Amino acid sequence: MFEQAISAMASVVVDPYLLGLIFATTILGVIIGVLPGLGATTGAALLLPFTLTMDPVHAIAVLATIYVSATFAGSITAILINTPGTSAAAATTFDGYPLAQKGEAGRALGIAVISSTVGGIFSVLILCFAAPLLARVAYEFRSPEYFALTVFGLSMLASISAGGAVKNLIGGIFGVWLSTIGAERVTGIERFMFGNYELYEGLHFVPIFIGLFAISELLVQSKTVDKIIKTVSMKAVKLPTLEDYKKIWKTILRSCGIGTFIGVLPAEGATVASMIGYSEARRWSKNKKEFGKGSIEGIAGAEAANNAATGGAMVPTMVLGIPGSGTTAIILVGLMVHGLRPGVYLFTEQVEKVYQIFGSMFVANVMFMLMGLYAAKLFARVSLVPTQILWPIVFALSVIGAYAFQGQLLDVWLALIFGVIGFFARRHGFSVAPIAVGLILGEMVETNLQHSLKMFDGAWWMILTQPLALMFLVFAFLGLCGPMIFSWITKQKD
Amino acid sequence: MKNIYLVPLILSIFSLAVIAIALQLDTSPEMIVGDSMQARSFPIFLMILKLILIGILTFQFYKNNPKPVALEKYHTWGSMFLFLLFYLLTVYTDMFIGIFVVIFLMSILWGERRIWVAFLTATITPGLVFLLFDYVLKIRFPRGMLMNLYYG
Repeated sequence: MFEQAISAMASVVVDPYLLGLIFATTILGVIIGVLPGLGATTGAALLLPFTLTMDPVHAIAVLATIYVSATFAGSITAILINTPGTSAAAATTFDGYPLAQKGEAGRALGIAVISSTVGGIFSVLILCFAAPLLARVAYEFRSPEYFALTVFGLSMLASISAGGAVKNLIGGIFGVWLSTIGAERVTGIERFMFGNYELYEGLHFVPIFIGLFAISELLVQSKTVDKIIKTVSMKAVKLPTLEDYKKIWKTILRSCGIGTFIGVLPAEGATVASMIGYSEARRWSKNKKEFGKGSIEGIAGAEAANNAATGGAMVPTMVLGIPGSGTTAIILVGLMVHGLRPGVYLFTEQVEKVYQIFGSMFVANVMFMLMGLYAAKLFARVSLVPTQILWPIVFALSVIGAYAFQGQLLDVWLALIFGVIGFFARRHGFSVAPIAVGLILGEMVETNLQHSLKMFDGAWWMILTQPLALMFLVFAFLGLCGPMIFSWITKQKD
Repeated sequence: MKNIYLVPLILSIFSLAVIAIALQLDTSPEMIVGDSMQARSFPIFLMILKLILIGILTFQFYKNNPKPVALEKYHTWGSMFLFLLFYLLTVYTDMFIGIFVVIFLMSILWGERRIWVAFLTATITPGLVFLLFDYVLKIRFPRGMLMNLYYG
């Protein structure tokens, strides 16, 4: 198994086509990450239709590369123009931009690049070891456990960074409801189709995701057309000095652990990881006063954590079919579209493909490091593409991408409708990621609940007699009510 | 009624409508469903859960009294109108004519003052995307005025 994994990962390096693909996608990913508004999730949603005709490993490698490179690249604009390219880089602005204003933009970018690379590679290594182990545990799972696990996954939506807990849960439930559209799987009864037989097999994820992430972002960006961006001049990117390394290595390691752990949690992602990575860096720092004024520990803490979350988020996605973030939700769709069923099967029957994907993520981390060090200045210029040119192009890519998935115009209309729904949701403080995660998990929840009910002759409470299922449901309960209980206990103590 | 309560109200109406439609769904014979659920049960359960959460959200609004969301500028509403225009042009002329017109008008709407830049963006983008999807990915586009000329 170990040898098979190593040889599969190594095969990425000797496959010139795959290497070229990862190289090209890394460039694209960095560009996507640099462009404000076009983050990893939107980029992956736009690129998904282009991967349909590719070999499964190549397709997932493309999506995973976009994920890691765009997550890193958000820091370039965060440091240079105080505008995070992705939400995961928001914490990088706290210290990255002040340091750039001091004339040390190169040093700030160097710290960001090295921290992101270490975080990304660390999380890929954890992914390589943790995913097969988790897959072995998941081998024991039956319907009650999967049902409880998906409920746990949905409960974690409450703590997604954007939106409030209640709003996120409402969004998640709406997403689960969307998964009920079409013919019911056991009885074949048509639900909410209104005579539209193109919906018989349900809503397809690709057009919905393009709508929720790309089109809705377009409408959100239409509010920022008058924004004037101030840039900071930058000399060549400098590598951190030995003195800098001494100062940040502990922060990077800590953030690697934090980021990977948070990434593994269902529905948590790089944004939460970077915020916690940053605040922990500040908490443990001996130079707390420097934070907010250009602390390199602050940049390292946020950047190592957000890239460490990428590998972590792939663990539940590939092992359990539960996406760890919006982008992994799209990667999960990519896996499904290419016939790679996430779960134990993937780790027993298609080990080689799995490790090739992991290998691709490893290579992508190295590639974005080189690009970050030698071409950050060039990429930063991309962020100056006028919005009035960029977003109409995104519109064209969105509608054609939505159409290309199945070759039906209904998907284009769905993408536009869900774009408008997503915009109004965001306008009122609802995040669209819970809708996407709910849509993916919806089928799992319903199907496993049905199977569990059949297993226990309709006695739903028997699910609670299964130890693992009970554990997940307790976690779900704690995830939902824990903060309230905790604050109540604190109040009582006071 | 304050504007902030409009969102919970719309969500509640939607949830109630879903429940009403779900109640109209067919039921399966006992021998198929067995001890499991009817097709209508799960959506109804979801909507009841949602109504409870909407209740909590309304309570939060009442307690915190959030500021109403400011109305967007014409760029946003204009972009949505362009989506509608795209639908009409695609259905009655051709998808690529729709894309061309929307890109051109969207660029102008969003503040592009150089007509030739908007025109080039509207021409080159769909052109390149078409070549990529048609030649590389072998996707056939829906028939319309332009596609009829191309496919024959």
